[in-house]
Amino acid sequence: MCDKKCVGFLINPIAGMGGRVGLKGTDGMENQARALGARPAAHLRAMDALCRFVQLMSHATAFPLRWLTCSGEMGEAVLKTAGIPMNVIEIVHIVTGQSTAEDTRRAVSSFMAQKVDLIVFCGGDGTARDICSVAGNGVPILGIPSGVKMFSGVFAINPVRCAETMLAFLQDRLTAVQTEVLDLDEASYRAGEWKVKLYHAALTPFEPRYMQSSKALIEDVDDTAVRAGIADYLLEQFQHETPALVFLGAGSTVKSVGDRWGIDKTLLGVDAVVNGECIGSDLNEQQILELLGRFKARKLILSPIGAQGFVLGRGNSQLSPAVIREIGCNNIIVIATPAKLAKTPVLRFDTGDAMLDRELADDGYIRVVTGYRRRTLVKTML
Amino acid sequence: MPEIDNRNSEKTVYELSAVGRGTNLMPECDVPKTELPGVLLRKDTETIGLPGLSELDVVRHFVHLSQRNFSIDGGFYPLGSCTMKYNPKISETCARFEGFAQSHPLQPDETVQGNLKLMYDLQEWLKEIGGFAAVSLQPTAGAQGELTALLMMRAFFRNCGETGRTQILIPDSAHGTNPASTTMAGFESLEIPSDKHGNLDLAALNAACDDTVAGLMLTNPNTLGLFERDIETIVRCVHDCGGLVYGDGANMNALAGVVRPGDLGIDVMHYNLHKTFGTPHGGGGPGSGPLGAGDKLAAYLPGPMVRRIDNAEKPDPGYMLFTPEKTIGRMNSYFGSFGVFVRAYAYILQHGAEGLKQNALHAVLNANYLREKLRGIYPLSHDRTCMHEFVLQGKIDGSSVRAVDISKRLLDYGFHPPTIYFPLIVPEALMIEPTETESKQTLDAFADAMKAIALEAVDHSETLHSAPHTTPVGRLDEVRAARQLKLREDDRKVKDNLNKA
Repeated sequence: MCDKKCVGFLINPIAGMGGRVGLKGTDGMENQARALGARPAAHLRAMDALCRFVQLMSHATAFPLRWLTCSGEMGEAVLKTAGIPMNVIEIVHIVTGQSTAEDTRRAVSSFMAQKVDLIVFCGGDGTARDICSVAGNGVPILGIPSGVKMFSGVFAINPVRCAETMLAFLQDRLTAVQTEVLDLDEASYRAGEWKVKLYHAALTPFEPRYMQSSKALIEDVDDTAVRAGIADYLLEQFQHETPALVFLGAGSTVKSVGDRWGIDKTLLGVDAVVNGECIGSDLNEQQILELLGRFKARKLILSPIGAQGFVLGRGNSQLSPAVIREIGCNNIIVIATPAKLAKTPVLRFDTGDAMLDRELADDGYIRVVTGYRRRTLVKTML
Repeated sequence: MPEIDNRNSEKTVYELSAVGRGTNLMPECDVPKTELPGVLLRKDTETIGLPGLSELDVVRHFVHLSQRNFSIDGGFYPLGSCTMKYNPKISETCARFEGFAQSHPLQPDETVQGNLKLMYDLQEWLKEIGGFAAVSLQPTAGAQGELTALLMMRAFFRNCGETGRTQILIPDSAHGTNPASTTMAGFESLEIPSDKHGNLDLAALNAACDDTVAGLMLTNPNTLGLFERDIETIVRCVHDCGGLVYGDGANMNALAGVVRPGDLGIDVMHYNLHKTFGTPHGGGGPGSGPLGAGDKLAAYLPGPMVRRIDNAEKPDPGYMLFTPEKTIGRMNSYFGSFGVFVRAYAYILQHGAEGLKQNALHAVLNANYLREKLRGIYPLSHDRTCMHEFVLQGKIDGSSVRAVDISKRLLDYGFHPPTIYFPLIVPEALMIEPTETESKQTLDAFADAMKAIALEAVDHSETLHSAPHTTPVGRLDEVRAARQLKLREDDRKVKDNLNKA
């Protein structure tokens, strides 16, 4: 069996807070997010992963494992609550006051000094960048997804899969491969501009079924006609139905639908349309719920993130489980160009509500609108 | 010293034109001369701009152009999913028989009984080959056959009051015409993925089958050259949800005389006479896509069709046109591509039932022989016994060449390239269909060329990137050609040439 293994573990406690209140990221916006009613959720995602890990360990052949972490909410608290024995946890960095990116970097320095086998973190692209700025590609890193957007290839698709990947790697069943750490320029992102930059090459455990591939930005000029076809088809469908409240999700595919309809659609926000008029732009969870209270007929148009395949749970956390339940799973229309689907073999849902995710994934396949009167049956995976 | 350019030496007829030269060997007028109506007379005196050429100039010009073309008569043409088999010359001779070639579609039935008998026999033979209740010869192409079948399905469901059936299921390996025909017929298409063996994914099919499904369009063997092993389960699944199954008969060359699609439960299917039955394709066309239908749909076939006159008192009462009871109407002004019917009729007569079966078996044998010869040199899309065609990937370890480079280089070796980048589900696809009419020597020579190209790909990749080198024109900018169409000679250039002449 394996030699003694050592995991460096840290949580970015504020990761993901900005998303639920429509801030498209939390970097430098923590206070504003709190003022808008956002609550920290990263520790819950970390807890899901660790509980699953403890459960898996109890069935696996035992092997010695040591955990290095930070004090308090940056790691220690969750590890203990999840049932990791106290005698295998070592605090290598003490956090004083509110944690910052500097705390992440210091903790990683200590992890590296003690030659950890794997760094597991809970956060988003910003956290991954901070870790890689110190670790480089000297040690594999694995993310429990908890940020607003997660373009980097170091994230598992959800906390449960993260636990499984973690165990397989520590048992030497998986090897590590190079992947990219990407991040958005959040200031540009808030202004409606989509700037994804490659920041680092990192190592990550290789488990193709469970790891997100780095988002492939799929742009094809020939797709213009296809996008127009999708928009015309949707419009034609809505003309036969009761005037409905139509929400248009984020991304360039959905934006091109808005453009074709003559609506000034935001690239990254959720906008609302009634009778061809835009009645709300860049809405947050609360604003969406308010609109839903006023209109009975409703539709939500979404497009997956290229390659990764996330339809919900990446970049659109204002579409919370409460919002999705209110809209109704049957009223969600997923659209994608064939070029995007060619690189996106499965679609995924990670709303934070496992039961809802299962409902959204339907019976293993969903119908994606890929052109004028054209749909494609695409596999879903949880 | 005159400039010599053998590669691009063929000039246009306007450039070849010379003042005063011409050909005026007109046949003697066999109708009374009369004045043209005044409104049709040219008002201005401007020249109509015809080039001045002798008969020999014209003959040489067009012979040169024809020699630049690649044809089945000139070389091996393994264009996947197109069944580029040899078109027998006797079929051409038959199509030129005066009785066929000079007949007019508006002649009274009693004066064209021979034509009607030929159409009737062809309908009956195709019924027998496909295992269907009835056949209509109306559609003039495979894609028109698809559209016709979908219009019949639409009429069938309207007649049953099932107007909620709007979806047509189409595998992701299907011909691109399938979704296009679906949209034209007013349906919506739902693409179904293939499984790892290259067959239709049964779990996905099951998930898609519900009461919105009007039917499934299935090509068997599929465009990967693989037989749908679960064909009976697939047909049952669609029928159980109330849908109909359409067979895309483009790949019938692998089945003719061996398996009858109607026996497998296919409700309606088009045949490509210009593939399976050896009639010319494309520029040498036109095509023909007759449609066979089972009991459920036979009454909806387009007319006119031909039947024997029912008269017990006469030994041979003759043939007449009729239109099926619930027909969707006509798909063409007259009877379809009659000249193609004659060629296909002659082809079926030449081979007979046993001959057609042997053709299918040899087509499959040839494809498998070539597949085995190329195994290990190029990756196979699916490593299992194929039917009439197979798909390789145009990728070589340690080389940057792509399927397009390999194809262009094949032209230098004297072979027409395979179909490339199709089916879409195979990256860098090279889809090879040798057909039954090619000899072992030809297949060996093609395999040798493919092997030589694989070696060049590693040692001299630039030779491939810039291929072809021996053809009248080199590597074309195909994207620009498709986007900036130039379909006619520039008027000013034509006039300049005429003035110079």
